[in-house]
Amino acid sequence: MIKKIWKSAALMLLATAAVPGISLAETAPLTIGMSTTPTTLDPHEDSSAPNNATSRHIWDSLINLTGTSANEPELATGWKAIDPTHWEFKLREGVKFHDGSAFDAQDVVASLLRARDKPSQGFASYTRNIANVTAKDPMTVIVETSVPDPLLLNSVSRIRIISADCADASVQDFDGGKCAVGTGPYIFSSFNPGDRLILKRNDDYFAGASHWSDVTLRFLPDDGARLASLLSGEIDIVEALPADGMSRVEQSDALQVINGQSSRLVYLGMDVGRNVSPFVKAADGSALTENPLKDERVRRAMLMAINRPAIVDRVMQKNGTVADQFVAEGYAGHSEMIEPVGYDPKAAKALLAEAGYPDGFRLTLHGPSGRYVKDSEVLQAVGQMLARIGIQTQVEVQPWSMYSEAYPDGKFSVYFGSWGVNTGETTNPTVALVATRNEEKGTGRYNGGAVSDPEIDDVLAKASSTLDETERLPLLKKLSELTFGKLWLLPMHYENVVLGAKKTIRYTPRGDKYTLAYFVEPAQ
Amino acid sequence: MAISLIRRLIQALFVILAMTVIVFVGVSVIGNPVDILINPDANQAERLRLIAHYGLDQPLWKQYLLFLQGLMHGDFGDSFVYGRPALGLILERLPATFELAISALLIAIVVGLPLGLYAGLHPHRISSRIIMSGSILGFSLPTFWVGLMLVMVFSVELHWLPTNGRGATAEMLGVQWSFLTRDGLAHLLLPAFNLALFKTSLVLRLTRAGVQEVLPQDYIKFARAKGLADRRIIFVHVLKNLMIPLVTIIGLEFGSLIAFSVVTESIFAWPGMGKLIIDSINLLDRPVIVAYLMMMVVLFVALNFLIDVCYTLLDPRVRLDAKA
Repeated sequence: MIKKIWKSAALMLLATAAVPGISLAETAPLTIGMSTTPTTLDPHEDSSAPNNATSRHIWDSLINLTGTSANEPELATGWKAIDPTHWEFKLREGVKFHDGSAFDAQDVVASLLRARDKPSQGFASYTRNIANVTAKDPMTVIVETSVPDPLLLNSVSRIRIISADCADASVQDFDGGKCAVGTGPYIFSSFNPGDRLILKRNDDYFAGASHWSDVTLRFLPDDGARLASLLSGEIDIVEALPADGMSRVEQSDALQVINGQSSRLVYLGMDVGRNVSPFVKAADGSALTENPLKDERVRRAMLMAINRPAIVDRVMQKNGTVADQFVAEGYAGHSEMIEPVGYDPKAAKALLAEAGYPDGFRLTLHGPSGRYVKDSEVLQAVGQMLARIGIQTQVEVQPWSMYSEAYPDGKFSVYFGSWGVNTGETTNPTVALVATRNEEKGTGRYNGGAVSDPEIDDVLAKASSTLDETERLPLLKKLSELTFGKLWLLPMHYENVVLGAKKTIRYTPRGDKYTLAYFVEPAQ
Repeated sequence: MAISLIRRLIQALFVILAMTVIVFVGVSVIGNPVDILINPDANQAERLRLIAHYGLDQPLWKQYLLFLQGLMHGDFGDSFVYGRPALGLILERLPATFELAISALLIAIVVGLPLGLYAGLHPHRISSRIIMSGSILGFSLPTFWVGLMLVMVFSVELHWLPTNGRGATAEMLGVQWSFLTRDGLAHLLLPAFNLALFKTSLVLRLTRAGVQEVLPQDYIKFARAKGLADRRIIFVHVLKNLMIPLVTIIGLEFGSLIAFSVVTESIFAWPGMGKLIIDSINLLDRPVIVAYLMMMVVLFVALNFLIDVCYTLLDPRVRLDAKA
């Protein structure tokens, strides 16, 4: 009897052990059509979205950043702050690089320091507070920060862990494949810059081998090319499905549209600093002696005049979701206290009259073209809507290469701005967009409207040095309330993540818009 | 010949030098690469460090001199975006563009020349008129539209050919080529045809005009009177005289095929130089823009020289030395 039990137990053990091997198809290829082109495979050269999404296939980080910017254990199994400036990370045992070498603390030390010290400084915003990284023992790493940094975990989740052997490797070593060796779910096969990256499944991946045996990332920035590849069935899933192709995909029996919300906020920036703003004139075209945008009632009237649901629905063809604050529900710092401002042109006109502008005024809106989803079209629509409450609006769009330099420097009166909330919490957009500009402290770099609210600066300073999450969360909410209570920025919408895919697969879009093969699942 | 070669080389050097000045000044006027390339979360110190890293903290004239200094050592500078030598990046993509341009040119000659000859020799036939009307379409339809239509019809609807990309490649002379593999050839067909359409019409119309100009000439009449076979008259007397304008145009057009195949390369996601240069312009990647434009100048100068050499072979009256 006992023998029998043993036998069945052994059999069961064998069966469970064999399950992953059996369920993994010999050949299950997946091709992803990316809408942007990574510039290199070197994961520390430049922290752009396409580069980080691509490197995520080959390398892991200490912490996995989930689709809603939460932290999950990855190469680190646990972490804690020993004191305000020292963090301890316990590393995962038994992880191997693709070349068979073992992963340990030296790799982590080399990677974090490499990302910090690279001349390109691509990761500077994540590594600026890292004073030192040391290995306490082969499976424990201590990160020392120069100031208490509540965002350290998020920063660490951005930095891929490479083998210490490649610490001094050049960009070419990575692009050529010599150093394209990580611990991640896929193994480098070949890289053709500007064209495609071909990967194979890592059967020994510590989190479980991927369903896909061969993954190809195709770089297809041209909308037409990407759409055609999807329609012809050559590609399984494409990013940034062009709005004009959505109906074709919806009609198809084999294809589907996957829609999700991103953490990219689009807003209208307002010149609230100057007493006379360069692109605001009186209704008859004469110069104004005051700046109406400084009046909160005028800003509120403008927002009430803009029919945001219609813009999102029609102009953007459902490629966006109406926004009322920095981050959507589910992200740290989203506040329920913020009253959404509805579309009400009548009340807007009344409010404008109350503020002393019964006949409105003249305004030129500025924005980029081709940088964000339907940017110039959205701006045109806003212009027409403002005209209806008496603000005679002209729209001027510029190519991104010119606009990007001008708008943070306060060249405009009302401008189209956008911010990808990278960290999934509100200090990140506050520092850049509404904190008082201070070059030494590095605040307000994109504060093109010269917002300066001492209360915001105070709360921000507190939130940026508080490590305790329960103390910090109310501060994060406060930042949203202070910014959008006074409408220092007019919130427009969050861009949506719109993917086109075959019906044979499933994918949950991420806030940062990355398309990661490991998380693409076959539809049952 | 040798003297003219040297002269041309010196000329070319001056053109290139002028080009670098124009491009350097031009690119520095529009926008600031740092604003585009920097991580938006970066603070002022990080920003200054990046500016210094790219050498943009120096005055323009100093940047330019540093660039010239690098050039003496064959160094065009590192790309801001890719962090690699700019020249290497361009050379890496050169074969793909070259292959596409040569294929398109071959199609243009193989299709355009015979059709043009036919239409010129028999101008009143209905078939000739159809050919000529067809060539108007080839001229006037925009490349991007034709490209999209080709993809829609042959790839999306009929599934005969792949939509885009370069397909499998094989190595020859240390370079990867598409036309050596079946898959690569299938990928090459649509973009090459798309790129060739305009050029085919051009060659066709030039050939026809040339034939009609040459046919009434005395030497053709004389050849006829001498009783030469039609074949000989057409292929030796007519064609040879046609060649001079044709070679000029084909040569220059080859340059423009390489330099301006951007539209076709984007639609068909062909990993060539055209895509690289457009990306670089959008990202204000100055070293790549400058290196690319300099290469184009060299290319056009070289092509013009080759065209002149062809003249001497085709027309004994032309001598390079005398001309230069």
